[in-house]
Amino acid sequence: MISNYKLEIITVLAILGFIAIFVSVSSGGDHEFSGSDDVGSEKISELTGQSVESFKPLIPQYEPPSGEIEATLFALQCAFGALILGIIFGYWLGQRKKSPLN
Amino acid sequence: MHIMEGFLPWQWCLVWWIIAIPFLVLGVIQLRSMIKKDRDNLPLLGVCGAFIFILSALKLPSVTGSCSHPTGTGLSTMCFGVFITSVIGAIVLLFQALFLAHGGLSTMGANMVSMAIGGPVVGYALYKILKDTSVNIYVTVFLVSAVADMVTYIITSLELALAYPAAVGGVAASFGAFFSIFAVTQIPLSIVEGCVLALVFKYIVALKPEILLKLNVFSEEQISRAGAQEYSTSKTEA
Repeated sequence: MISNYKLEIITVLAILGFIAIFVSVSSGGDHEFSGSDDVGSEKISELTGQSVESFKPLIPQYEPPSGEIEATLFALQCAFGALILGIIFGYWLGQRKKSPLN
Repeated sequence: MHIMEGFLPWQWCLVWWIIAIPFLVLGVIQLRSMIKKDRDNLPLLGVCGAFIFILSALKLPSVTGSCSHPTGTGLSTMCFGVFITSVIGAIVLLFQALFLAHGGLSTMGANMVSMAIGGPVVGYALYKILKDTSVNIYVTVFLVSAVADMVTYIITSLELALAYPAAVGGVAASFGAFFSIFAVTQIPLSIVEGCVLALVFKYIVALKPEILLKLNVFSEEQISRAGAQEYSTSKTEA
């Protein structure tokens, strides 16, 4: 029985390990947990000697006016993906129930 | 993994766009002919695309104290190949560039080369090597996804290093600096991503092995060996 769920168990363990790493890292030292994009941008400004603000977009772009709006858009992106996944896996499950293999 | 708008000199933007465009064009051609030939593949394409969408929206904290996100391109690379994956990746990158100011239009070529092309190319090569060996198919999925994810960040580091060589040590030194920011952050993430996509692949094998057979992702023997338990459970349920 357990061997049927080997992959599920490994995945859960990997995620738990990941959470454990996060808890131990975030409890000690000072880490901002900002995006690696931002850390990368700071590195660029360090290498070039120019401030991060002095990098102007080559093509003007829309920026979410606040972190809240950004979170909404990210949540929408996720929800859109999850919706498609739910529909398709549900559709396949229905098909399989109707005509099982073998 | 995005290179932000404005953070690459225009010459480099142009170089990466020129590399990216052939992949995009070939991808659209392949996609069109595939859809015309057989619409049964569309749900699987949807699943692969949905995972790229979901995973690239999840910004997860990592060991280095900064956040990054998985890419999810491994699954679609194995099922549909590099070119179609580059089209899906481009759609996700375009969405994030237009609405979220993550990445940008001028740097999208560079971001495509790292996420939608480079990662998938290396992942696909690995898949081709492992495909006909006796390696378990879930291990293959795990390795391909994790490697495609890692390579994405290695290429991003390289792109930035080429554009911004350090005063001391040149490209190699700044590659090291960017690598320690992007790629090291990514190691735990890519392991988790590999596990999750392998698990998803198990469910695809259980529910819709015929699409995988038709696309010739794995041989019938490999799939029935890996999915033997699922076959028997679905039989008892029925």
